Amino acid sequence: MTNSLSATDISASLSEAGPFQILEYALGEHDNIALSFSGAEDVVLVHMASQIKPGVQVFCLDTGRLHPETYQFIEQVRKTYDIRLELLFPDTEQVQKLVSQKGLYSFYEDDHQECCGIRKVGPLRQKLLTLDAWVTGQRKDQSPNTRAEIPVVQVDRVFSRPGELLMKYNPLANWSSKQVWDYIRLEDMPHNALHAKGFISIGCEPCTRAVLPGEHERAGRWWWEEATKKECGLHASNIEK
Amino acid sequence: MKITLVKKILSDGSPCKKCADVIAKLEASGQMARIDEVLVADERDSESPGIQLAKKYSVDRAPFFIVERPDTAPEIYTVYMKFVKEVFEQETEETDELKEIMKDNQDLDFL
Repeated sequence: MTNSLSATDISASLSEAGPFQILEYALGEHDNIALSFSGAEDVVLVHMASQIKPGVQVFCLDTGRLHPETYQFIEQVRKTYDIRLELLFPDTEQVQKLVSQKGLYSFYEDDHQECCGIRKVGPLRQKLLTLDAWVTGQRKDQSPNTRAEIPVVQVDRVFSRPGELLMKYNPLANWSSKQVWDYIRLEDMPHNALHAKGFISIGCEPCTRAVLPGEHERAGRWWWEEATKKECGLHASNIEK
Repeated sequence: MKITLVKKILSDGSPCKKCADVIAKLEASGQMARIDEVLVADERDSESPGIQLAKKYSVDRAPFFIVERPDTAPEIYTVYMKFVKEVFEQETEETDELKEIMKDNQDLDFL
């Protein structure tokens, strides 16, 4: 089994590799692996993975609050690529309890953690407990605060099964938004119609908005919340010395 | 079984609020007595014991717990609710655990 030390070695050896090579490695290394697809520009990973491993497992988190354009795009992707696409839904009781107690827009009054926890993290965890590895579309340039140091391969300790290690691959970590979009255009891939309406980062409808030219993509998500520093992170500059 | 808790001191010298919250919960429940060792990860000191352990186990957040049992690899827990549920067999509300995960793992906002 891959351990945390070898994950660091693998990440170092793949740090200069492109997304396709990283995906090739991940899909070759693990049989029980799935891609997380958000319904946005991470379609590039679906595009690549379906070429490397036809019938590859892909999952989407359907929070029940996505834009119509996102649902249409997910369906288009399902029909376009040779993949096994699974939609994951939140626990009905937890959603009902939240909505009964706090209404449909509680995230505007406190913060988005509780709603995201129920609608996204819960079903994600259920899925990840069944896997040995997963693939995300995370990129360093998406958020200077929270993603500046993401490696291409890491051990996912949050969602690992007891006594086991879940591997997490981030093949787009070192790509910029421009590189992603150049690739989407080059390969003439389908994309979410919201992008043409000024949306960059796409999540749930109430928590996502279009951004102005020059604004960072994170300005389009949870804009009513103050940016806070990453309290729980240990600075890698210290860890890596 | 040996349990080690690693708590953090921020680069400006202030204590980590989440670490203090976790220790307060452990003390209130009487579970602090089951923690064998508390080490500090001082962001100002790359040689501090907690930073060294974070490096050894590729952990990028604090607080975290290391659970060592004979003849098995150490288990690392970065989610407090998961730790008390699996190690102390404490009953927890799943929604509280999910909220903690979301709050402490801001990189999950890509979902």
